[in-house]
Amino acid sequence: MRKVLILNEKDNIAVCLVELAIGEVIGQDGLNLTIQSLIPRGHKVATTAIAKNEGIIKYGERMGHATTDIKVGEHVHTHNVLGDRLSTEQVV
Amino acid sequence: MSKELTAFERSDGRWGLRNHVLILPLHSAFSATARKIADESNGAVAVSHDWSGEVDGDFDRIVKTISGFAANPNNFATIFITIGTPNELGIIELARKLGLSKAEVLNVAELGSMGKIAEIGLQMANSLLKEAKAVSRISAPWSAIKLGQECGGSDALSGITANPALGVASDRLVELGASSVLGETTEILGAEHLLAARAITPEIGARIVETVARYERSINYEGIDMRGAQPSRGNIEGGLTTLEEKSLGAAKKAGSAQFSGVFEFADQVTKPGLYFMDTPGHDTEQLTGYGAGGINIIVFTTGRGTPTGSAIVPTIKVATNTTMADAIPDLIDLNAGTIADGLKTLSDVGGELFDLILEVANGQLTKAEKGLHHEFSLSRMYNTIIR
Repeated sequence: MRKVLILNEKDNIAVCLVELAIGEVIGQDGLNLTIQSLIPRGHKVATTAIAKNEGIIKYGERMGHATTDIKVGEHVHTHNVLGDRLSTEQVV
Repeated sequence: MSKELTAFERSDGRWGLRNHVLILPLHSAFSATARKIADESNGAVAVSHDWSGEVDGDFDRIVKTISGFAANPNNFATIFITIGTPNELGIIELARKLGLSKAEVLNVAELGSMGKIAEIGLQMANSLLKEAKAVSRISAPWSAIKLGQECGGSDALSGITANPALGVASDRLVELGASSVLGETTEILGAEHLLAARAITPEIGARIVETVARYERSINYEGIDMRGAQPSRGNIEGGLTTLEEKSLGAAKKAGSAQFSGVFEFADQVTKPGLYFMDTPGHDTEQLTGYGAGGINIIVFTTGRGTPTGSAIVPTIKVATNTTMADAIPDLIDLNAGTIADGLKTLSDVGGELFDLILEVANGQLTKAEKGLHHEFSLSRMYNTIIR
């Protein structure tokens, strides 16, 4: 069974279909990444290195930007991503 | 070929997928009495609400919601409980104009006591239920189906499993001539450009974009920090990070059909095709607005198992993940989590959902109907200023 799901070839993240532990290696679909932190099921993992302010791409579309550099295999979530929209977010 | 669709034909040509007798209080003070009548009757339904006649910035929205809900084609009849003020009687008049053929009125000013209201209301309800039982379903065209799309308690699988499965079913229904409505303006923010590109005219596309922009302006004006509510704490625990991400997944419910138009909140859905309606992201306000717009069946995708249903509109719950579907089987009608489990394809589950929509339209009860999840919420834009 697949551990992660790539939704679009343009994406720089994949969705985890199972909880992934630190050190786990994902080799499916041409990926080669080592999990850097515990990632719960349904959460996202970086499939490429993402620089600070770079867009997070899911479904082939931009869903926000990185607030810090993100390494391959790292958990991509609220601790390192913000949405692009709404002024309250831009203030931060 | 699919099975035949059957429904109840109303005198104005609309179609009901249910044949309810609804007890509707026109003032919050009658909510308990409305419920008492419904509970003691042979199957009437009731809703409660908190409107007590305030005339403020939300008055028109509230009148539109209550009158539209009363006139929903799934109602065989509606019994109104009223103080008898001109505003309340105006709601009954409006419901009649929207097509409600059987309106009964329990006027407290005339009857003089709550005891009498309960007693006469019960007789009235049982007599109408008897009449309703005598009416049969007949063969109906696909345009009889007015489908409302909803997602609540979204998780990261929503946009991969249940929402696109609903998109498959919605596309098929639209192709056959049914109406299908995407709502929840909060939850298309960030995806509106993709939806606008699918509008049948540039004007309709511009209206989709403007509806979201109007909402965004109001949020910025109020200085509300949306991050506390959207994505919600539950969404974030489920793996959704930003509002745009949630929206990209939420928009999958609308499949790939073209958008034929944009509705304001609780506008009457009369024509076939796929539409967008400006509704709040709050589940029960949205379900109530759909009911007020004449939508007669709802598919509600959920990652966390939201129990919300409607007193009059059958609400089909589709789980986004197998863990939750297995944990609360008495809430879930269909598990789309099998797509993420690698057991079924999107087109398999989309087909199953289409078949289920037809079964439910033909009378099969949903889990929310069996569980009597009869939620009702009025949507407000302003603070109540006159008390």
